This record gives sequence, C-alpha cells and structure tokens, in this order.
Amino acid sequence: MHPSQGSSPSPDAFLSARLRANRRWLWLAWSSGLGAALATVTVAGAIAWLVHQTLIEPSAIVPWFWLGVALFAVVVRYSLQALGDWAGLQLARKVRREIRDDLLGAAVAAGPLWVAAQGHSGTWATRYQDQVEAVGGYFSRYLPALGLAFLVPLALLIVAFMLDWVAGLLLLLSAPLIPIFMALIGMGSQQIHEAQQERQHRLAGHFLDRIRALDLLRRSRALEAARKDVASAAQEYRRLSMRVLRVAFLSSAVMEFFSAVAIGLVAIYVGFALLGFLQFGPAEEISLFKGLFVLLIAPEYFQPLRRFAQSYHDRAGALAAANALAPVLHGHSAQSAPAGTLRPEPQPHLLRLTEVSLHYRPEDTPALDQISLTIAPGERVAVVGPSGSGKSTLLAVCAGFLTPDTGSVQRSQSARHFAWIGQSSHLFHGTLRDNLLLGTEPGTADETLIEALETAGLPITDPMLPEGLDTRIGEMARGLSGGQAQRVALARALLSGSRLWLLDEPTSALDRDTAEDLLQRLLKHVRSHGITLMIATHQEAVWTRMQRIIDLDAGRLRTTVHV
Amino acid sequence: MSEWRFLRTVFGNARAWTGVAHLLLALTWAAGIALLALSGWFITAAALAGAGVLLGLDLFTPSAGIRAAALLRTLARYGERVIGHEAVLRILATLRETTFERIARLPIPEQRALRSGDLQQRLTADIDTLDAVPLRITGPMTAALLAVLAASSLAGWLAPWPAPALILTTALITGIAALAGARAGRARGKSLVEERMRQRVGLLDFFGGLTELLAYRKARARQRQVEEREIRQAQRLHVQETIALISEQAVQLLVAVATLVMLGLALHWHAAGTISAPVAVLLTLMTLGLNEALGTLPGAGWRLGESLQAAARLQALGHETRPQSFPGGAQTNPLPHPKVEVDHLEIGHAADHPFLGPLSFTLEPGQPRVLCGPSGLGKSTLLATLAGEQTPLAGMIRVGGRAIGELPEAERYRCVAYLPQETVLLDDSVGHNLSLGRPELSDLDMWEALEMVDLARTLRREGAGLDYPIGEEGQRLSGGQARRLALAWLVLRDAPVVLLDEPFANLDAATVERVLERLRPWLEARSSVIVTHAPEQLPTTWPRIDLGTDGRSR
Repeated sequence: MHPSQGSSPSPDAFLSARLRANRRWLWLAWSSGLGAALATVTVAGAIAWLVHQTLIEPSAIVPWFWLGVALFAVVVRYSLQALGDWAGLQLARKVRREIRDDLLGAAVAAGPLWVAAQGHSGTWATRYQDQVEAVGGYFSRYLPALGLAFLVPLALLIVAFMLDWVAGLLLLLSAPLIPIFMALIGMGSQQIHEAQQERQHRLAGHFLDRIRALDLLRRSRALEAARKDVASAAQEYRRLSMRVLRVAFLSSAVMEFFSAVAIGLVAIYVGFALLGFLQFGPAEEISLFKGLFVLLIAPEYFQPLRRFAQSYHDRAGALAAANALAPVLHGHSAQSAPAGTLRPEPQPHLLRLTEVSLHYRPEDTPALDQISLTIAPGERVAVVGPSGSGKSTLLAVCAGFLTPDTGSVQRSQSARHFAWIGQSSHLFHGTLRDNLLLGTEPGTADETLIEALETAGLPITDPMLPEGLDTRIGEMARGLSGGQAQRVALARALLSGSRLWLLDEPTSALDRDTAEDLLQRLLKHVRSHGITLMIATHQEAVWTRMQRIIDLDAGRLRTTVHV
Repeated sequence: MSEWRFLRTVFGNARAWTGVAHLLLALTWAAGIALLALSGWFITAAALAGAGVLLGLDLFTPSAGIRAAALLRTLARYGERVIGHEAVLRILATLRETTFERIARLPIPEQRALRSGDLQQRLTADIDTLDAVPLRITGPMTAALLAVLAASSLAGWLAPWPAPALILTTALITGIAALAGARAGRARGKSLVEERMRQRVGLLDFFGGLTELLAYRKARARQRQVEEREIRQAQRLHVQETIALISEQAVQLLVAVATLVMLGLALHWHAAGTISAPVAVLLTLMTLGLNEALGTLPGAGWRLGESLQAAARLQALGHETRPQSFPGGAQTNPLPHPKVEVDHLEIGHAADHPFLGPLSFTLEPGQPRVLCGPSGLGKSTLLATLAGEQTPLAGMIRVGGRAIGELPEAERYRCVAYLPQETVLLDDSVGHNLSLGRPELSDLDMWEALEMVDLARTLRREGAGLDYPIGEEGQRLSGGQARRLALAWLVLRDAPVVLLDEPFANLDAATVERVLERLRPWLEARSSVIVTHAPEQLPTTWPRIDLGTDGRSR
C-alpha cells in the first residue's frame, strides 16, 4: 500500500487496536483491582465481627486473631491495588513505546517527502512526545477504571445482598442512577474538555504571539498596551471558563450527593432496624455485625465510580491525541524498505526507470505517469517543469525515498550511494564537524573537512565560524545563513565521495550572487570528477549548463533535450 | 527558598479565593469523616439500645447529623470546585501578565532567544503547572492539616491521649513522606525536563534531517539512537510514576493500620470502662475516614517539587518587577532634528573580525541612501546598529547631535522607525496592528497609509476592512501583503528617521513600482536608509553605498 492511502480508523478503533497485543496487563489491572475489593470485604467483615463480638458477646472473642486477619487483609488490599496501578502503567508504557517506534519506522519507510507532507519537524516532535504521552492516560487510568467501575460495585453488591437485602437494595437503587449521571458526566466532560482545550489553546496562542512580536511591540512603543492586552485576554478566558465550569461541576456534585445520601440511608436504616422499629423482611434479623459490615463497604462501593469519573478526562485527552496520530500511522502502513525493490544489476547505465508510475492517493492523478528514463554514468541532467509537475517526486524515486506503484527502478552498484542537496539543507544540532561527518566516515581528518569547506566556498576563517570546526550550529545554536547552510551541504556531498548527486532546487532559495557562486563551485567539482548529476530546477541559469534536460508536465515526460 | 517568594507574589491576588477554597475542601473532608463516624456511632448505639443495654437514645440528633453531613459534603464539594477554579484562573491571569512583563524587560537578545518554539512550549507548560498549585498542592495540604487537627481534637476530648497521639503520628509520618517525595520529585523532575528537551532536539533533527540521514545512510543508526534515548527516558518516567503510586498506596496502608490500632485501643478502653461502645466505633471510623485527606498528600508533595521547578524557571526569566508602566505613550515631546551622523562605525561579533567598517556618512532629509552589496556582508546588522538595537564595535552614531545609545528607548523609537527584514505582525486585526502604540490614530489615517502601500483596495474588496484578522504570523495574508502591511505600520510611526531592510521583498515588480511612487515623497521628506539586494528597483537619483566596495573590512 502507498503513503496516505485509505481512510484512517476512528480514534476509538485506533486505541483498541493498540490494546490487542498487551491485553494481559489490563487483565492484571482488573483482577488486582477486584482482588483488592475482596480483601476490603475481608477487612470490613473482620472489623465488624470484632466490634460485634466485643460489645455484644464479650466472652467468646479472640481479639488478636481478628485484628491479625484484618491486618493481613489490609496489607493484601493495598499491595494488590499498587500492583493493579502498576499494571496500568506497564500497559501504557508498552503502548507508548509501540506507537513511538511506529512513528519513527513510518518516517524512515515512507521517506522525507511524505514526512514533510505530514507537517514540519516540530509537529512530528510534538506527535512523538506529547500526543503519544496523552494516549498513555487512556491505558494507564481509563481502561482499568472502566472495568473496575463495573466489577467492584457488582462484587460488593452481592456481599451486601447476602448480608441484608434491604441495605443491598439501597445501594443498588443509587447505582442505576449513577450510570445515568456517569453518561451525562461523560458526555458533558468530553465537550467541556474540547471547548476548554480550544479556549486554553487560543489563550496560550495569544500570549505566545505577544512574546514573538516583542520587537514589533517595542518598536511601536506599545509594550504597556500589550501587557494590558495579555491580562485582559486572560481575564476574559476566566469569565468564559467559569460560566461553563459552574454547570460542569454540578455533575460531580450529583455524584457526591448520591454516594453521601446512600451511606446515610444505609446507616439510618440499619440503626432503626437494630432499634426494632422496622418489622419487615431482613430488618428483624439484622445484627450489629451485619449493619457495621454494610456500612463499612458502602464507601468502597462508590470509590471505583469516582475514579472512573476522574479518568474520563484522560480518555478525552487520549482521544484527541489519537485523532491526530491515527491518520499519520495509518496513512503510511507498511511500505517495503526502499532498497528492497531496487535490483542492482551490472549494466552500463547508472540508473534506469522503466514505466514508473506513482500515485500519492489512489483518487488523485498520478504524480508520475509511465516514466522511462536511463541515466548514464557521468551525465549531467536537469529535471525541469512547472511546480507540481513531479520534479521532486522523480528525484525521490531515483533516491529510493519513494517506491513506485508500478514499473521498476534499476540501479548499478555505484548508484546505491548518492549525495543529496535539497532546497534548504538541514543543519543538525551539534558542531560543524558533526554536520560534515554525516556525509562520510566518523574518523575523517579535520584537514579533509576544512578542505571540503574551502571548496564549497565557506573558508574556516569566516567570522561566522569563530570556533572553526567546533562552532556549534543547528537548531537552538547560532544559525548560519541560508547560503552558508547550502555550502555546508555541498561540503557534505563532496566528502561523501558519491558518484551520483541528486539535487532538488539547491540554489532556488538563495540570492542571485550566492546561487551563482555555489553553482560554479558545484559544477567545477562534478565535471572534474565525472560525477553523475540529476538536478531539479526552475532556473534557466542552471538547466542551460546541463547536458540533457528532462521536461516534466503533470507527471509525464514531455520532452528530453540533449544540449 | 526564593521560589516561595515568587509563588507568594503570584498567588497574592487570589489569596481570598484560595483561602475559601481550602476551607471548603477541609469542610468536604470533615463532612465525609463525620458521615462515616456518626453512622458508626449511631448503628452501635442503636444495637445496644435494641438489646436493652442502652436506655434513652436520642434518635433525632444523630439522624439529623447524618443527613446534615451528607448535604454539607455535597455543597462543600461543589463550592470547593467552583471557587478553587476561580482562584486558579485568577492566578493564571496574573501569571501571564507577570511573565509577559518579565520577558519584556529582559535584554533584547534573551527575548529573541525565547522565540524558539521549544522554549515557548516550556513556558506555557510551566505556567500551566503553576496554576494548578492551589487545587492540587496547597489545598490538599491545608485541608488535610485542618481535618487532622479537628479529628485529633475530637479524639482527645472523647478518649485518653493515645487516641489523638495516634492520629497526629499517622499524619506526621504521611507529611514527612510527602515532603521527602517533594525533594525527590524536584530532583528527578529536573532531570526529566532537561532530558525531554534534549530528546526533542534529537527528534527535530531526525524528522527535519531525514533526507540527509537517508541519503548518507545514517537513518537506521539515528533511529536506533532516538529509540534508545526514548527507552531511557521512559524508564526514568516509569521509576517516577512507580514511586508515586507506591507512596500513595503506602499512605493508604498506613491509615488502615492506624485504624486497626485505634480499634484495638478503643476496644481495650471500652473493656476498661473508659469509653462507651458507640464512641469506640466512632473513633475507629473517624481514623479510617482520614484516608481521603491523607491519601492526597504524597501526590501533592510530588507536584510541589515540580511546581517549585517551574517557578524557578519562570523566575529565572528576570528580576522581580514592581508594577510600573513601560515607556511609551503620548507623542508630546518635540521631534528631534532628523540629521544622522555616522562616524567611523565598525560592526560585527568580535573586535578582531569586524564585518564592516570603518564607515562614515551623514543622513539628511531629501536623499534616501541605498545600501547594497552581496549577501552576508552585514547590511542588516548595520541597519539594526543604526536603529540603536545593536552596539557597534567602534565608532559613533548621532541623531540630532545626541549619541543614539544615550537616547531612552521610547525617545529613540519616536525618532527612528525601523522595518527589519523579517515581517513580524500580531495575530490580530489589520487595524490593531496599524495602531500599535498610537491609539489616537483615526480610521482615516490608517486607510491613508494602506492606500500608500496599495493594500486599501484589496482590503475594501475583502469587506472586513480594518477588522480583517490577519491570522497567526500573518497566515491569512500573502507574503507580499504582509510586507505591505508592515510598510503601512512603518508609515504610521511617522518618525523623522526611517530605516528599511529589504522593504520590497516578496513583491512583484509592478507592485514595487506602484508602492514606490506613492512612498517616494514620504521617504524623501525624511532621513531614510534602504537596504536592498535589488538596487535597480529604486530611483537612480538616490545615492548608493555599495558595501562590497566601500565596506573596507573586506
């Protein structure tokens, strides 16, 4: 399947698909939670029995034994609870790891064109770090809480009915109301979550926008006004949020109300039954043991529901993240590694494309349509055509970044190593040396690197390189200009010793003089070393200096002109 | 710790709101404890009365108490939620304002460093961490303290001293554990945040440099590096989360054990005749009820560490500022004389490697100067130096006879209007952008300026006119439109000295011609400098300074 084909799964489907291989952790979380609930029943029973026996029949009691039972059950309970929570964490950790590995794998498999089409590198970093992080809450908290919100109340209800069906009924009656309110809370909280997120995002955006524009504000002498603006935006956010929150919190108040009232009703029922005021059903047979037992498990009955309500926020956050991740991970699916389809054959040509076609989406017109092409060693070829005609796609196919839908790409052994210079080259975070070594072997001597820089037109004595090869460049360090970055990229290409250079508009972002200088240096080296060159360009000054011009139009090969 | 002072300043404005929210939280917990303890007391008393052991049990008071506790808990919970969030949002507003102010007062290079997307993300995250302090940290801590004090006072009144001592000891151990957690959380949180920043840089390189990595066959190795870093980071996070959950369950266990101890003590005192049976049950259930309050403390401690970290980072943004206005405001001072003298100016990063210089020239109204030459010479740096935003390595710039470095910022920008190469606009309406710092401007003034840059027609056609929102980083404008809007902003500065850095970038030749025709008299009435790589676009009568040949240093 090809990049970005088909529709992506719903966020729910995306998340449950991620659960499949790791379900055992969820089972562990659920069974530990249930086990903890049963231990709680034991504690409550032991305490109630101890109190009952001491107060009502003081003679027939061994208090140490029952205290010991309770103590043991308490340790079991909290150990199991810790184990359950830990299982949830493990589950989330596994899933996060899988999604993160898939993100990297997808990027490598589908290639840089696809990656760039899915957003800039900051977006990808946010996907990898923050969005995958947000997905975790669904697995570590929401899913365990979801199961336990059914299992634990059910188990405790059975115990309560066995002790006294009226007390059980009181708990049960508050239960059907609770799912209704849970649903309301759920629906409400999701919408509120989304609206709140949106508002918060906008407020943060407003604030950051003012920080970005500080220069403008200072030059406008408008800092004071901007400060007031920031403050009033935040106050406006507060007013709007509170209007929503005042209603939203009603649902949690309802939850609190039902649990408090249910406990109170159980206590009053048990009390009046013990006094002998109630002459029906089990009320006549109730004892202090049973009454205290039910009272002690009543708060535990509502606890999982409360946890579930809290975890709903995790779910909302995870769904939002899944919504953003699903199309990216699904869109790529497992494309075979680029090298796999490239059959090396000992042939006189360097690169041969036979009837290559490629669609980005099945419904679109092809990005490349039946392209057949042979590149001989030492040839210098320009790929021209209007923007969107498929120049970059053709180059990416030649590089192996993209695999064609149909047709074949054959390349000789020496074409498997190639150098690449794009429109604006990436400078990696690190020293200039690190950046140059990317193109070559780790141990390369400094002199060789400096020589390559010199050839590329960036002498090591340049004032922008105060520390020579040790100058730190790249993101978050002192930046080089666009022209200097392209020179570093050229030096990388020189150092790589590749016999095939694939260049995608290498000079189009530069001013005329710099572009001309870079091109001259580049061509000089290419000619003197007999390097094969394929260059996508829209600049006449570039294509006129090539030996062959391939003219593309809407993915079709229009003409080939030999100069 | 100075972070505390910072927190106090930030939270000061919402002190009343947070105070009430904390009290309501304490009330919520107290009501929960009372509900359980009173219910236990009532059941036991009823059992004894039913068995004929206890005579004359007052039914009304306890059952009314139970109902009151249930209702109080609901109301207090709701109030705590609402008022707590009111406090949080008030703090958020203060935090944003203070942070903006601190950043605005930083030295300019530090401000510009903050434009990096990652630091901005960090900043937002820190602000969000801090605004949760009252709900998740100080609230639980204060309320737990109040609940514990109330419970132990009641225990001391009803039973011998070991009862309150037991409650206080339990609370004390929990408190110490929480503070230890805060310390550990702080250290670990710091390394987590730093490692996360490093990881992000690695990710930006991986996704941004994928082409290069694939071309030079370093992608798999880099992918493994990223994965290994992630495994280490996930491990760190996992340790932190595991410690957090274990400490939480440990506190619950501690409270449960204390409950059993209290039960043993109470039954012993009952056997000795010191306390009645219902009181014995009440004491036990009251101790059990403390788990809700004490259980929140480890988490609060943990978050306290994180918050102090965030506070320290925000605080590091600059010195504490007393509320005072930024320079700016009315345009009352008489405009200084627009003559600019540049005298033996040298610019660059290091004294032994000057980019340019020494340069000397004089600017006067009438003849805009055109600065040209190949890129990389330092034309933009020269312009920023003329605007007084950079210090020259050597030499002097005088405006109206005064050194530019000596002019206060407001006065400097009153006489120098500077349009840098990069277009920066606010995510706001066209009108808001144009009238920045000049609220007195009329719509007519703004339309006139828009007319000069040939943008009025387009905006009128759009319908929204001056209210047209230009979007984040001017996304709802084309590059050329954004540039012309910035030019209109410059025109409205109405300063006697005008510095333009590639003013017509992104404009097609026909538009440049139209705009230039309208701007020409305006520019010629001022002391203007225009940096360009396409000097052929500008009137030939304007004198050129070709830095490639006149720049001396090279």
